[in-house]
Amino acid sequence: MDKSTIVCRCEEITVEDIASAVSQGAETFDDVKRLTRCGMGLCQAKTCRIVISELIAEMKAKSAADISVPRLRMPLRPVPIGVLAANTASGSFVRSTLAEAEPDEGQEK
Amino acid sequence: MSREYETVIIGGGVIGSGIAYHLSESKSDGILVIDKNFPLSGSSGSTQAWVWVHTKTPSWYGEFSMYSSELYGYLHRKIGDIEFIRTGGICPFFSENEREHAKSLAESQAQVGIEIQVLDRDEVLAREPALSDKVLGATYSRIDGNVNPMRLVEQYMKAAKINGVTYEYYNKVTDIEKKQGSFLVTTEKGLFTCKNLVLSAGVWTHEVGKMLGLDIPVHPVRGQVMITEPLAPFMKYTLDGLRQASNGEVLIGYSREEAGFDRSTSLDFIGSTANFALALVPDLAKAKIVRSFSGLRVMPKDEFPILGPIPGIENLYIAAMHSGITLSPLAGTLISELITEGETSIPIERYSITRFA
Repeated sequence: MDKSTIVCRCEEITVEDIASAVSQGAETFDDVKRLTRCGMGLCQAKTCRIVISELIAEMKAKSAADISVPRLRMPLRPVPIGVLAANTASGSFVRSTLAEAEPDEGQEK
Repeated sequence: MSREYETVIIGGGVIGSGIAYHLSESKSDGILVIDKNFPLSGSSGSTQAWVWVHTKTPSWYGEFSMYSSELYGYLHRKIGDIEFIRTGGICPFFSENEREHAKSLAESQAQVGIEIQVLDRDEVLAREPALSDKVLGATYSRIDGNVNPMRLVEQYMKAAKINGVTYEYYNKVTDIEKKQGSFLVTTEKGLFTCKNLVLSAGVWTHEVGKMLGLDIPVHPVRGQVMITEPLAPFMKYTLDGLRQASNGEVLIGYSREEAGFDRSTSLDFIGSTANFALALVPDLAKAKIVRSFSGLRVMPKDEFPILGPIPGIENLYIAAMHSGITLSPLAGTLISELITEGETSIPIERYSITRFA
């Protein structure tokens, strides 16, 4: 691999991008992920996890086994919103900042 | 042996790094930021990252948020590309009684210069055609927008380091001792002494405060967000609860849960958020959710920022607040002013920790 080799195909992240994150102080897969977006794309690191963990380990002079795996995110594989909604009773967790806003009542200023 | 710094900042998230950067603009060295992990691993990296003003109430808090938002255009030019976009913010509503509420919000915020238009159905659909045709109207303000929180914190850190700031990563503070004219900060990797100490540890500020015998009333409030695959650009505005990022992903969800430090995501939330997304933007039905995450809001007891000096302990400062993305340019500016000049350019007494005494 040279520095322009793409190691995360979903987000087109190169070896050089990973090296740049590590040089800034990133130590874990998730640290590198947040700086570069590697593993944040459609495959959710299923393709790039091992190769990137090995790269980080090499750059940090550690064993790949010491690089913790990235945090797995539900729903693990892409699922259409319509499917997620259809299986759920109505009622909502979701709030609205407009509904929460409390306009001044004159005296308060 | 301890290493000496003029100022130590505990916590390198958007608030701590924002303070480090702003302070480094006037003081070129002697600044250390200590983070127990790597910045962005906590609240700053798990957010929809709206730069949001128009529904922030009371109006004095809206005004405070507006000042910070106004600093973004300038910040963008100083620290580099942070993908800040002033999209304008839209809060759609679906019932007539909300229209009256929207009008009174617009009136109240106008007193401090926050311009809000109350749009009727046709006007909001003309602006954002992807919205459900069941919408009855919306509040709209040009002042709102969003930013890439990863780029923001990274650029704060890079700019701060260029100005001479030192960072300690993966180094937890374990004890703090107030000495005559200085603080002794004990960490897992060594001792540091400093004249000024800033507590900006986000949801961990309470824990850090205890080391100084303080009971800082801040606790975590969880929010969950889900994210679609990248979609062709079809939405322009930052909506109440939903926005499309510049890479095409749509970020969905605004929730508040008391869950301690638990950062799991839950199926009931995902289902509920999916319902919300479809009610707001029906075309999203076929869009696939790629992932979801939760973040912990930094919630002071009365929900307003805790910002300023901590009376009774000389040269000790605190900056703890939710909406840290919106407020970081202003919080960074104000704490820097306090440290370098001893006073701030706008009054911040309202945000003093003394209100909880």
